[in-house]
Amino acid sequence: MLKGADIVLQCLRAEGVDLVFGYPGGAIMPLYDALDGSGVRHILTRHEQGAVFAAEGYARVTGKVGVAMATSGPGATNLVTGIADAKMDSVPLVCITGQVRSALIGTDAFQETDVFGVTLSLTKWSRLVRNIDEIPDVIAEGFHWARSGRPGPVVIDIPTDMLKAKKEFSGPSEFTPHARPADANADGGFTDTVVALLRQSAKPVALVGAGAKLSGAIPDLRRLLDRLSIPTFATVHGLGAVDPQAPYYLGMVGMHGTRAANMALHETDLLLVFGARLDDRVTGEPTRFAPHAKIIHFEIDPAQLDRVRPCDLPVIGNLADTIPAFEAELQRHSLPDFGGWRAAACGPERAELDPRGLAQPTIRFLDELFSRLPEGSVILADVGQHQMWAAQRYRSSSPRGFITSGGLGSMGFALPAAVGVQLARPDACVLCVSGDGGFQMNIQELATVHRLGLPIKMVIIDNKYLGMVRQWQQLFYQRNYAETDLSDNPDFVEIAKAYKIHGFRMNEDAMREFPVSPETGDQIDRFLRSPKPELLVFDCAPEANVFPMVPAGAPLSEMMLEE
Amino acid sequence: MQLFHIRYRNTQGTLMRILNAASRRGLELPAVQAAAAERDHQVTLALDVNQKQTGQLYREWYSIADVIHVGSGAAHTAAWVSHHPPAGVTLEDSRAAARA
Repeated sequence: MLKGADIVLQCLRAEGVDLVFGYPGGAIMPLYDALDGSGVRHILTRHEQGAVFAAEGYARVTGKVGVAMATSGPGATNLVTGIADAKMDSVPLVCITGQVRSALIGTDAFQETDVFGVTLSLTKWSRLVRNIDEIPDVIAEGFHWARSGRPGPVVIDIPTDMLKAKKEFSGPSEFTPHARPADANADGGFTDTVVALLRQSAKPVALVGAGAKLSGAIPDLRRLLDRLSIPTFATVHGLGAVDPQAPYYLGMVGMHGTRAANMALHETDLLLVFGARLDDRVTGEPTRFAPHAKIIHFEIDPAQLDRVRPCDLPVIGNLADTIPAFEAELQRHSLPDFGGWRAAACGPERAELDPRGLAQPTIRFLDELFSRLPEGSVILADVGQHQMWAAQRYRSSSPRGFITSGGLGSMGFALPAAVGVQLARPDACVLCVSGDGGFQMNIQELATVHRLGLPIKMVIIDNKYLGMVRQWQQLFYQRNYAETDLSDNPDFVEIAKAYKIHGFRMNEDAMREFPVSPETGDQIDRFLRSPKPELLVFDCAPEANVFPMVPAGAPLSEMMLEE
Repeated sequence: MQLFHIRYRNTQGTLMRILNAASRRGLELPAVQAAAAERDHQVTLALDVNQKQTGQLYREWYSIADVIHVGSGAAHTAAWVSHHPPAGVTLEDSRAAARA
């Protein structure tokens, strides 16, 4: 006879889980009581939101399912932002929440929340366990849905009496999904149409999103792009999927994308989309998005098609299947010479990132940091201006080397996510770039970093504003900086010191020389190579802006390059 | 007004997910009828939707784990412009339209 809590942990082990992130509380105490000796290591964060973001970081860098645990009521509701984040960014995540005992459900008992109902629209699948016998099946099915197709979040809510009850346990279950409509392109019959459209095209382009990484199709994709050699760009989650040295690569596309990428997307007559949702940050004004183009959308999740603009040819399926089929068809055909178009789209006058870019000390600082990172490093960016600067300057070909909250844009994501990343990749240099606003949203996780001795390199770009909001206020609200002033920020170095973490400041003066002085270079190198956690606070000009910028509601061709 | 018939396994939350796909778009739900249908369940919804919303709803309903089939009682197929399966026209039609 085993308790429900022991069964949960054995089923987690059967799913390959050896690490979970969480925060204990009343209803989930039986599960915590059973942790010792279970083979599942638990990481105590200092807030449930820290736990779910850490689980996301773990999942994003490994591709495995991340697991977060919390108690009922406020514990569960504190997971909600992370669940929504995982839904938007296709992150495989299982959240296990304790619930009040079965007899009290629906009575507004102490710490009772209908977490099943609260998270229904945010999850890919969820269950409230009603009987201890269900536990093995529910966990098997939950993990299946979290990792299958377009990955996403799952919630399993377990009343505390189910965790305490005992039953004979015959072993973990295996889940077999019921029959679903077949993938529309499972027959590979789309390939001749794609090739025909390419042969008709004069200005084809390729847009790469997160799906390229999630599918594991990066080698296939890169080989295909090399063969096509057409102007190519990436969404923020597609960064690293394409070799940035490729002569046809134009960088990031969208609201803060490169001028070259946005102009090529505006002018193209054939857009090949590989695993991207085409959300509004990528498309700009939808009715003026790629106005001359036919769109071929390679996508695993049919629900992502036609959200902003109908595509002309859907190719539904896993990129790991559809790209090789496409490439095989290509080998039997010759394509027009796209050299002239490629040269025009990738020309030096187009490829320039930001006319003021390298003159801006913060961008120079990020360039210095990134260029000194060891091979295999992972960069996490929080949300805001620093996120877009970091994305613009990311130049690695590591597919899982740049991690950020892209879809939901959750401030406070990066620090706890870095905890998950560093635990998954203990030998990697993990660089966590935050703003002064976002860092304070989960600043308590410095305690987790300290307790675990994680050598995370934390950078705060401190402009003493909620910088991205302030930028919009400057550009679109007549400089009415309503409630974005953070000039009374605490001393972050002293805060780090209170958590027994070394910190220091650097200001823009250090970046005025090019190349930077040997002293500054040494300081950055020591920071990056320290075996301990470190905090670097970079004092940024308060009114530095992110350019290029496509104003909300404008087409991609109408970028602002300066105020 | 258009009628949609969605067949699903009657697991926890599946009906709510089906309804939520409509309500999150601000659509009124003037008529909803759900009942057992052979071994499964079926819900019939009356919705006032345009073609783009219809396509989105079809695909979102199909992405719900326990949805088995989505059908429509209205003869919208002939005027269908958003031609992505699973939605009402054949792949051959879809490919021909793309080449046109």
